[in-house]
Amino acid sequence: MNAPDNTALGARTMRRLYRDSVALMALASTVEKREGVLRVGAVMATPANLEILDRSGMKPADLVAAPDDLLLVVRAVDEATVQEALDAAEAGLTSTDSGAPRTERAPQTVLEGLAVGDRPTVAAVSTPGTYAPIVVEQALREGLHVFCFSDNVGLDDEVRLKQMAVERRLLLMGPDCGTAVIDRVPLGFANVLAPGPVAIVAASGTGAQEIACLLDRAGVGVSQLVGVGGRDLSAAVGGLMTNLALDLVAEDETTEVVVVVSKPPAEEVAQQLLARLAALGKPVVACLLGLEDTEAPVVVRGTLEGGAAAAAEMLGRSVEIDEASVAAARDAGTTGGLGSVVGLYTGGTLAAEAKIILTRAGVAAEILDLGDDQYTAGRPHPMIDPAARTEHLVRAGARPDVGVVLVDLVLGHGASHDPGTPLADAVREARATAAADGRELLVLGSVCGTAADPQGIDGQRRILRDAGVGLFPSNAAAARHAAALVNDQRTAQEIA
Amino acid sequence: MITGGVRVLNAGLPIIVEGVPSVDVVQLDWRPPAFGDPDLARLAVTLDDDATHAANRIALAAVHAARPRLLAVRPAREVVPGLADGRILLHAGPPIEAKRMCGPMRGALVGAALFEGWAQSPEEAEALLDAGVIAVDPCHHHSAVGPMAGVLAPSMPVFVVEDEGRRAYASLNEGLGRVLRFGAFDQEVLTRLGWMRDVLGPVLDGALQASGPVDVTSLVAQALTMGDEGHNRNVAATSLLARRLAPAIAPLPHALPVLEFLASNDHFALNVSMAAAKLALDNAIGIEGSTLVTAMARNGVEFGLRVAGTGEQWFTAPVGPADGLFFPGYGIEDANPDLGDSAITETLGIGGFAMAAAPAITRFVGGTPDDALEITRSMRRITLAPHPAYPLPPLNFSGAPSGIDVLKVLDTGVLPVINTGIAHRQAGVGQIGAGIVTAPPEVFGQAVRALHARRSAR
Repeated sequence: MNAPDNTALGARTMRRLYRDSVALMALASTVEKREGVLRVGAVMATPANLEILDRSGMKPADLVAAPDDLLLVVRAVDEATVQEALDAAEAGLTSTDSGAPRTERAPQTVLEGLAVGDRPTVAAVSTPGTYAPIVVEQALREGLHVFCFSDNVGLDDEVRLKQMAVERRLLLMGPDCGTAVIDRVPLGFANVLAPGPVAIVAASGTGAQEIACLLDRAGVGVSQLVGVGGRDLSAAVGGLMTNLALDLVAEDETTEVVVVVSKPPAEEVAQQLLARLAALGKPVVACLLGLEDTEAPVVVRGTLEGGAAAAAEMLGRSVEIDEASVAAARDAGTTGGLGSVVGLYTGGTLAAEAKIILTRAGVAAEILDLGDDQYTAGRPHPMIDPAARTEHLVRAGARPDVGVVLVDLVLGHGASHDPGTPLADAVREARATAAADGRELLVLGSVCGTAADPQGIDGQRRILRDAGVGLFPSNAAAARHAAALVNDQRTAQEIA
Repeated sequence: MITGGVRVLNAGLPIIVEGVPSVDVVQLDWRPPAFGDPDLARLAVTLDDDATHAANRIALAAVHAARPRLLAVRPAREVVPGLADGRILLHAGPPIEAKRMCGPMRGALVGAALFEGWAQSPEEAEALLDAGVIAVDPCHHHSAVGPMAGVLAPSMPVFVVEDEGRRAYASLNEGLGRVLRFGAFDQEVLTRLGWMRDVLGPVLDGALQASGPVDVTSLVAQALTMGDEGHNRNVAATSLLARRLAPAIAPLPHALPVLEFLASNDHFALNVSMAAAKLALDNAIGIEGSTLVTAMARNGVEFGLRVAGTGEQWFTAPVGPADGLFFPGYGIEDANPDLGDSAITETLGIGGFAMAAAPAITRFVGGTPDDALEITRSMRRITLAPHPAYPLPPLNFSGAPSGIDVLKVLDTGVLPVINTGIAHRQAGVGQIGAGIVTAPPEVFGQAVRALHARRSAR
């Protein structure tokens, strides 16, 4: 190794100082990282070490050192850098470390997590969808029930994993399952519900939440809320998990009444489902959105509100959509509202219910589910980040053709800590924009939540009312009123 | 409804379990498995079932059951399979043609050819090697292992390690400095090799015959309690071995130079524990369905991995130089890509895996004794069980993490840590540092694909 001519070499001898070779190599490595330093030697000045330094052009010509001396040698771009590096090296010889122990590592994998403390019984999976099937399969293999919040999981994976789960008599809630309450423990977006006699088996997340909250208002508690994922009653999945969930709630001693909530199932699946429900051995409400209400062989309801009411009635209670509160909401917003209806929803099933009610009333409306993939790409779900709805609401306020906006507000675990305030701000801005244009924009809605939810339902309601939102006791009631407003306008125009 | 109550393992967003009492939540620090390759992760999960677990139990039990004894020191040609006739030299790592070898390995082969008298000059030796007149083959294919270049020639003496009638072999360690295993082949090197052949080998063999076999498991276990990790630090094991043999060496001719040689070579026992590790791990070769790693070895160009369930197949990927500390006057630019069969120690569960036992050398990896504990703990995450014969005092006598499972490597993304010496890239310069390498991730992916294909074919 040749020593370059345009560099500086410097040495420092520490008389009778001893450090072991590993410490010295570590020191040399550290000092060598300094700017402008080319090479560092830190050695005991034994003849063997001096020979090594000499071979690599690192031995100063005028060096005087005894074998029990410690020698620092630095080659660097200039003399100043050499001296600074020697100072640093000398300081490094006496530095100490506090030796504080490292913190414990959190488990990373399913298997590692199972080795921590008491064995878990349920795995909650919200990894990116690409990896979710892998984690779910590991969890099922280990005998865990699974709550799979992840979406973007392939249908073939869903079928395969649900078959695997059914073989093991394990729940696989999801993929794309938003809510569950199992043995009183809430997972995902879940309202704080009193324990009670109704089990809800849900292929729709906010649908289950709305039913549970309406039951809560009627003083009826929930025993289990089992999400199964939105595709469970499709022809491909064939209700694999709905069937298992029904088995479990049928056996569950705390359950007296069972509600199944879903978008309308595939035809062949629907027949099997209704046959299964008719033979369940417990009173059942099939809340299948958009279907006609029927009473036999199974009670079928086409709206969430209808499903909740039927279940309450089986228990001798009633979901009071009391006239007084509907009237109060109506009074808050009957003037104005001239124009069409736009729905800006964070809950997919609430959006679907509104659409059904408006359609049944013969009112065409633009109902958007802002939690749908096309709106959430690259951003959080609007139930987590309520600001996502603001721009849609403000835009609606600027549209002269829009007279009524329908909104929802979902409370509970998982939801934003104060979803009301950003919605209220957006409502004020939209209404002000419309007012500046000489129009009145009506905003109607409901709060899906219970008195025990962490956000405080009364405070959230007040925030919305103060912003001029006409608040109804249920999503269905708000939608009915929107439909009535449009139909009244039509009648008025026809008379005129 | 849930037997045992709801206790949640949360893989993903903490918000999902916001409503669950925190005592009933195990929050994972979840990361994408299989180094972020979802297709590979699927294959790994498919393999991770009862059949594989059963195969791994059998494989690991076979490895742990081995009790290798150092039996003899004999010329390689007498004992190593395939070395009795013809011109053949063995080398470290997975197979590689002579033309593609790194400097130190070619240097060592040239030296071995000169030593055997097969060539009269280095140029002639290189020509014979390139032409295939002198054949080359991995040590691992001949029940043998060798550190660094790992070159073994028929007339060199080898350690003979035996258990239940099965044997494994390793060369004798030459010491540091200008030595064949770093590619040096000058007269000093050849003279020392001649002395090892004519004096050291026969004396050690005589001593072993007089004193009886040495229990290598016990030797290594004791050294682990004395500050060795069994790969980069062997001073305790070497001292124990020398002490054990000294009384039997003393009466023999040439006793003093032999004892002086042992006294001056801190790594002398490494080759013994390497042969013993090889013997133990070979017990698992070919156990159908097992995902246990049976060998990790480097040839200075490629890293090679073998897995029990795929028998003698090698999975290879390019290898880089070790990250470590360099002797004065040398730096990373001088370093040869990693080389040697000595990672057989980590494959068994000592070396880097037993770092906790050797606080004295943790500064080679820029660390403290805490880091040493952490390295050993992290190796637990990718191994099947503690080695019952190798309790580590700093970890409350729990055994060294033993038996690398390729499925666990993919699941955790944790790569095996290997302690290693660093060779100069030019033949013959010698060791220029020491440090740590991790196995390349690719080889574990290849192994899982091959295991999966093999299962699908069954």
